[in-house]
Amino acid sequence: MTEPDGLQLGTGVGAAVLRFPDRSLSVNVAGSDRANRPLVARAVAARASCGGDRLTVLLDGRANAELVAAVADTGRLAVVFSEPSTHRSLQVKGDGAVVAAPTVEEVALIGPYLDGFIAELTGIGFTEPFIRAVMTCDPADLVALHVRPAAVFDQTPGPKAGEAVQA
Amino acid sequence: MSDPQARNMLTLDAIRTCLEGVIPATIATVAPDGTPNVSQLSQVHYVDPGHIALSYQFFNKTRSNILDCRDALLEVIDPSTGAQYRLRLDYLRTETDGPLFESMKAKLSGIASHVGMAEVFRLRGADLFRVTEIEAVPGGRPLPARMRPRSLLSAVRRACEGLRGCADLSDLLDRAIVALRDLFGVEHALILLPDAASGRLFTVAALGYEASGEAGGRGSGIGWEVAPGDGVIGVAARERVPIRITHMTTDVAYSMAMRQGTTAGPLREIPFPGLERPHSQLAVPILAHEAGDGCGKLAGVLAGVLFVESAQEMRFTYDDEDALATLAAQLGALMRSLPMVPVPTTEAEAEDTPAETTAPPAGGQPITVRHYATDDSVFLDHDYLIKGVAGAILWKLVRDHTTLGRTDFTNRELRLAPDIPLPDFAENLEARLILLQRRLDDRRGPLRIEKTGRGRFRLLVQTPLRLEEMQ
Repeated sequence: MTEPDGLQLGTGVGAAVLRFPDRSLSVNVAGSDRANRPLVARAVAARASCGGDRLTVLLDGRANAELVAAVADTGRLAVVFSEPSTHRSLQVKGDGAVVAAPTVEEVALIGPYLDGFIAELTGIGFTEPFIRAVMTCDPADLVALHVRPAAVFDQTPGPKAGEAVQA
Repeated sequence: MSDPQARNMLTLDAIRTCLEGVIPATIATVAPDGTPNVSQLSQVHYVDPGHIALSYQFFNKTRSNILDCRDALLEVIDPSTGAQYRLRLDYLRTETDGPLFESMKAKLSGIASHVGMAEVFRLRGADLFRVTEIEAVPGGRPLPARMRPRSLLSAVRRACEGLRGCADLSDLLDRAIVALRDLFGVEHALILLPDAASGRLFTVAALGYEASGEAGGRGSGIGWEVAPGDGVIGVAARERVPIRITHMTTDVAYSMAMRQGTTAGPLREIPFPGLERPHSQLAVPILAHEAGDGCGKLAGVLAGVLFVESAQEMRFTYDDEDALATLAAQLGALMRSLPMVPVPTTEAEAEDTPAETTAPPAGGQPITVRHYATDDSVFLDHDYLIKGVAGAILWKLVRDHTTLGRTDFTNRELRLAPDIPLPDFAENLEARLILLQRRLDDRRGPLRIEKTGRGRFRLLVQTPLRLEEMQ
């Protein structure tokens, strides 16, 4: 069984992207360098804009310098959103990703996003100090990655994991 | 990495607590065309200081990429401090049976039930990876490490010291249970021995099940049975590998399998109820090794299973597993060296039949001892007590007692008795006598057995016996 290629833009990707990151979910990203080596990082916030045509993730650029450099170089980016309490997950892939300094508006996303994440995770037994220990990031180190989603995949554990999301 | 010294300290063993499955790990892979893929994993299994294994349940993009490119990067979180680490992985191979596979399958079953996905999660293989590099992620603000309530290494050492100089198997089992309680803080434990003929395991030592009480018909744990391959105990015995589940609920298949009735009929067995709501379980095989050929490859003979469980999640960690595996190894060596077949040391013992003693007249209400020849099961006043070899032993003892007035017996005469179907495994006799003695103690009834010396014991009878033989 091979994995479908995923939906192309215009057949529902935008709506799926818009639906997911407006809540405080666990966000993790992967990139690859020119040698095709995988890189991985945890993001601290995400948002979709332009009707789902643009996805922005914020992460600690100092802690994830290698990934940020690779994204700047190859433009390849994959982002997985997961709801910890249900394990529902969605992966967004795109190329042409760019690295930018976050805007003031984007930096302002961090606090509310973390608050929402704390609310989500304390509900399943994690403590607030623990969540802050993982998610704390110096605003000066924040980096924004912007990508135009090209495909979205359902990644909820189970036999349908990896299938393209239908409109 | 700014501190090369800190980097040198970063071994897989140093961050093993990240692999307990509390927090999902994140894995990044790359397709041959360079497209990255990112996914979360519920289970990363520690194999040894240089290897981890991932569960292969579905053929997805991560797996496809791994098979194509072998390279993966894993991010894990320490569940107590929040510190994050990245592990670079090189895919080696996939195992579809054997100890690693079975161990992961049992653990996955626990995780699956925890997230309500028992039907969905099925292990197809254990993907084995070499860990080529570990990096501490310099992000977040990790908390101080939690204090540990005990040193497991010290507990193992003192437990092993406490097992020295045991008189016999019964003494060894008792001391092991005390060590689990006092040194490891274990609240519920069982030691099971195998029945060489049937392959089933029966408990001869128990801790912390008294509360389940005779009222529930469950007893103290002595005499509970497990079929080979059933539950964590049966799988640990079959695969000769520790099986540990850190999250589980009562509907987990492994637990249910143990609770099911067994093949020989509803009343002839003592089922295996265990805890009502276990959340952590660990079963460690006790192996007795023959002298090896120097290659270290010889599989041990299964001498028993050490089992602990808890109502608390995550009670038993990788370190607990290692500690109890070490204790089990010591038990295996000691069980092998114990005088299982006591050598007659006195003239009296050297005789096939000891000096006959006349039983003191027992008074009071008679008790009916009923024996079913088909499976040697014995009932006391309609209550099932025991079956099999131990049942045959008891039947011989009570018959000799009522017809000849005997109370004193030797292990040797039992081994030679034609009506006791003892397999060719000498240790089976002692294990069966321990089982019989402890079941009678559990019953707190008018029948008891007490040891009177090496290879000798006495049947204590407080009320008249009425024997009934059923065909």
